[in-house]
Order: sequence, then C-alpha cells, then structure tokens
Amino acid sequence: MRRGRLTSLVLEFTWTGLASLGGGRSAYLYDRVVGRRGWVTSEEFVQDLTLSQILPGSNVANLAVAIGFRLAGWRGAAWALVAVVLPGAVILLLLAALYFASGLAPAGGRLLQGMSAAVIGLVALTTTRLARAALRARPGLLVAAVTFLAVGPLRMSTVLVIAIMAVVSGWLHRPSRLDEGIAGVEGRSA
Amino acid sequence: MTDLLRLALTFLWLSLLCVGGGLGVMPEMHRQVVERQHWVTTREFVDGYALSQLTPGPGMLIAVFVGYRAHGVSGGLVAGLAMFLPTSLLAAVVARHWTDLRGRAWARTAERALAPIGIGLMAAGAWTLGRSAVHDWLTATLAVASLACLSLGRVPPIVVVVVAGAIAWMVSG
Repeated sequence: MRRGRLTSLVLEFTWTGLASLGGGRSAYLYDRVVGRRGWVTSEEFVQDLTLSQILPGSNVANLAVAIGFRLAGWRGAAWALVAVVLPGAVILLLLAALYFASGLAPAGGRLLQGMSAAVIGLVALTTTRLARAALRARPGLLVAAVTFLAVGPLRMSTVLVIAIMAVVSGWLHRPSRLDEGIAGVEGRSA
Repeated sequence: MTDLLRLALTFLWLSLLCVGGGLGVMPEMHRQVVERQHWVTTREFVDGYALSQLTPGPGMLIAVFVGYRAHGVSGGLVAGLAMFLPTSLLAAVVARHWTDLRGRAWARTAERALAPIGIGLMAAGAWTLGRSAVHDWLTATLAVASLACLSLGRVPPIVVVVVAGAIAWMVSG
C-alpha cells in the first residue's frame, strides 16, 4: 500500500471511531471502507466481521485490525488499531481524571446516574436486537438462555460457563446436524 | 509495580474472555475490579461504563478508566494496553491466514457455536450493569424511557443518554 493510502486509512478509522459514538460502529465502518472507499468488497468485510466476533477481545478493535491487515499488512493493522483506540483512550483518561479529582459534586453524580440508566436502555435494546437476529433456532436459544441465567442471576464464573457451554453448543451445532438443517441458523447479521 | 502487574494480568485475562463483544465480559470484570481487587466501587464502575459509552472508540476502554483509578495515568495505559494489544496481535495473525481457515468446517462450527454464547453473555452483562444502575423510580423510568425512545430508531443514542442525564440532574436538583 502506498504511503498516501496508509494516511487515509488512519483518517478513515479515526473518523469512524469519532463518528460512531454510542453504537453501530461496524455499520459506520462498512459505510466508509466498503461504500465510500471501495477498499474491500462486501464479502471480505463480512469475513472480517465474523473473524472479529469469534476471536476474543474487543470486536471493534479486532475488525479494524483485520481490515487494516487486509489493506496494508502488519503496518495497516497496527495503524488501524491505534486509530480506533487511541483518541478514545486519551479522552477517557481525561474524563477519568476529571471524575475522580472532583469526587463529582452531587449534581454531577445525578447527571451520571441518569446517563447510566439510559445506557442500560440502549444496552437492553441492542442485546434484544442481536438476539432476535441470531437466535432463530432452538439450540441457539437454549444455549443463550442458559448462559444468561448462569452468568447473570446465578452469578457463576464466566470462564466456567464459557468452557461448559462451548462444549455443549459445539455439540448442538456440530456439522452433521447443520447438514441436516436442524440447527439452521443463518441469522448472523451482515 | 506489583499494582501495574496485577492490572496488566487482570485486563489481559478479561480481554481473553471477551467473546462476542465487550458487554458480555462485564459480570466477570465487575467481579474482578470491584469485588476482588477493590479498584473501584460499584457506583464508579457503572459511571465508568457510561462514560466509556460516551467516548469514541471501543466500549472496552472502561479498562483505561479503572486502570486510572487504580494507579494513575500509567495504570490507565497499562490496563488499556493489556486489554487491546494481545488480542489485536492474535486478530492480525489469524487475519493473515483467515482466507484459508474460514473454509474449514470447524471454523463455521465455531462461529455458530459461539454466537449464542456471546448473546447470553451480553444479556448477563446488561443484567449486571442494570442491577447497579437502576436503583430507584427515577433511574428505572429513565431506563425504560430510553429503551422506548431508541427502539423507534429515530433518535441517536448519544442524544437520549445526554437528555436522560439532564433530566436526572434537574429532577433531583
């Protein structure tokens, strides 16, 4: 990749990070790198999205790294990561300093409590939408429900639950069953 | 020094548990940073999550917030690096071979098997945060109103969140 393109890669990813405040980040990224720039095809984007979701870590960062790597190898991946993470990290560091320095006066505390409550609304909505899109078949629904109950209300260890459910879910979604179309989950959002 | 090391190990550990997005790791993060290490209180944890949602970039930047509380600026940096660097390296390595790997049956099985676990963990994360953030009639009303408002799909989330903050500030003022 030419130097000029590496610069515009950093600009696009930084812009995406800043513009996609409050959710829908991969949709923004799609709009920029597939729609406007035409750097990757839609199919390549979906491949990278899948990769970013099955690997551990932040989905946004993983997606940026995968697309950055596709565009410009290791340098592209490194710059893409810096571009999506660094601006927010600096801003949050400043906010944290402000938050802990003032101990937040009662009025500021109420402000944040209201914002946190609204974030819960957002989080609940996003989860519901994703669940509706991804959980069309019974095995998936069962796995999601048990995982939720175990980690949420029952407060079991996340590691333990992931380990057990990975085995259970892997078995429920094993290829032979997929071939028979029993688990026919095709609902992963593009 | 041991503080920084504990921060690094804790957030590295948490980053590896991020399956299908950051929200799902919130129950375990709460357990580690509030209950076990006492770096932040529950209140600070929830506020930090709200702030990280208002900040551009990945939601997992809450690591920086907690790290700052535990050990100042260097703590924030160490926690952020531990959260993002190792998993990003893994992503780059896998991305390099992904075209070959994704055709294999196991990759598709892994994707299908992990998706519902990720959703379940997300719901558990919403539950954990909700238990701390929704604690009186005002916060409950705001959470429900925000959900209703956002499901219409017309209003950007950041507007809803800021307006809710303003309402809470005025009502209790």
